[in-house]
Amino acid sequence: MTFIVRFWGTRGSIPTPGGKTRRYGGNTSCVELEIDGQLLICDAGTGLRELGLDLAARSTSPVEAHLFFSHTHWDHIQGFPFFVPAYHAGSRLHVFEATPDDPRFTRLLLGQMQSDYFPVGFSDLGARIATRHFENSVTQLGQVRVEMREQTHPGRSFAYAFEALGKRVVYATDNELDLVLTNPEQAAKDPEHLRMLPAELLAFIAEADLLIADAQYTDEEYARKVGWGHSRVATVVDLAVQAGVKQVALFHHDPLHSDEQIDHLLLDAQKRASLRGSKVEIFAAREGLALKLD
Amino acid sequence: MGSRFNDDESTIVRVAPYLSQQPEGRTPPCLELVRGPDAPRRFALALPTLTLGRSARAQLCVESQSLSRLHMQLTRRDGEVHCLDLESANGVYLNGLRVHSAMLHEGDVLQLGEVTFVFHEGGT
Repeated sequence: MTFIVRFWGTRGSIPTPGGKTRRYGGNTSCVELEIDGQLLICDAGTGLRELGLDLAARSTSPVEAHLFFSHTHWDHIQGFPFFVPAYHAGSRLHVFEATPDDPRFTRLLLGQMQSDYFPVGFSDLGARIATRHFENSVTQLGQVRVEMREQTHPGRSFAYAFEALGKRVVYATDNELDLVLTNPEQAAKDPEHLRMLPAELLAFIAEADLLIADAQYTDEEYARKVGWGHSRVATVVDLAVQAGVKQVALFHHDPLHSDEQIDHLLLDAQKRASLRGSKVEIFAAREGLALKLD
Repeated sequence: MGSRFNDDESTIVRVAPYLSQQPEGRTPPCLELVRGPDAPRRFALALPTLTLGRSARAQLCVESQSLSRLHMQLTRRDGEVHCLDLESANGVYLNGLRVHSAMLHEGDVLQLGEVTFVFHEGGT
């Protein structure tokens, strides 16, 4: 019985190959959850290409995967046309639509493979690709319960909570927490003040074993990027502290941030949590990292 | 107390014929033992895969009771080195974070029980 979380792409907005981003990685959002033999994938950023290659190396058996999308911005769908298992006739891919009345994820996966954008058409993929839906924001995949929640992001985005084997992992990227603070005046006046977040958001994240959270900006950067749909690192820390989360992965790293800058952001985040008396373990997600939830 | 392995990389050549696959002029990646039996010392990662633990069956044996018999595996592929926790009792900590597996980079600190290594990528 295993619950493994693997990070294949941790970068936000656009791939950032190069020497300055080697350690945390340059591929965009893609996280694999391997839960007791089931394969669940959060987002299809460019990290998905690496995951596909690794799946092919792990086994020659057909791949069955459940895909959950935070949203359809480029950096979350761009890896799909390069996902090797999608080309194999035996593969089965289940795309979970967050909105039953608007199958936007399937529509955009298909749309980005039109010939204007990509040489191979969606209909040429060998895999059986099926659209699935949530019932009242919840779906059950064997032992895995998945709950979704809408976030704050231009064009809409969704967070997912995965529960299985007594563990809870929340994937919550591309979410502008700072627009939903319940004490925005106090937070603006004093950056050190605890940034309060809505009770229903805290309940969704409460006591997660692992929270994977959009932590793209410093306070200074955010001031110039309000409304762009991303959170400040310090606000993510306060969210985790209030929700009693055990571990937080700072995720969706800003494309302008070097490894060294992310190291500093991480240290600041850890200091902030410590000052609040919290024992939450904070780390910066990096490509190639896998955690096993025991 | 001590390791079966010599810290002299030239000795490793004799037990690791794969070293011949190393491109000319490049040194292989290595683990630098900075805390533990006989620290400090360096172990060249010349094999495609290498197991580390306190058992004599481990290819890299470090005699510390805080290690599992087979504690960690290191794999080299396509110029990358990956670590994997072999279900050890005390875990593999990468820069303080308990990990199942990870791709390693220059300067990464691996903590296995009471034994600490620093990873070096090697190069020209």
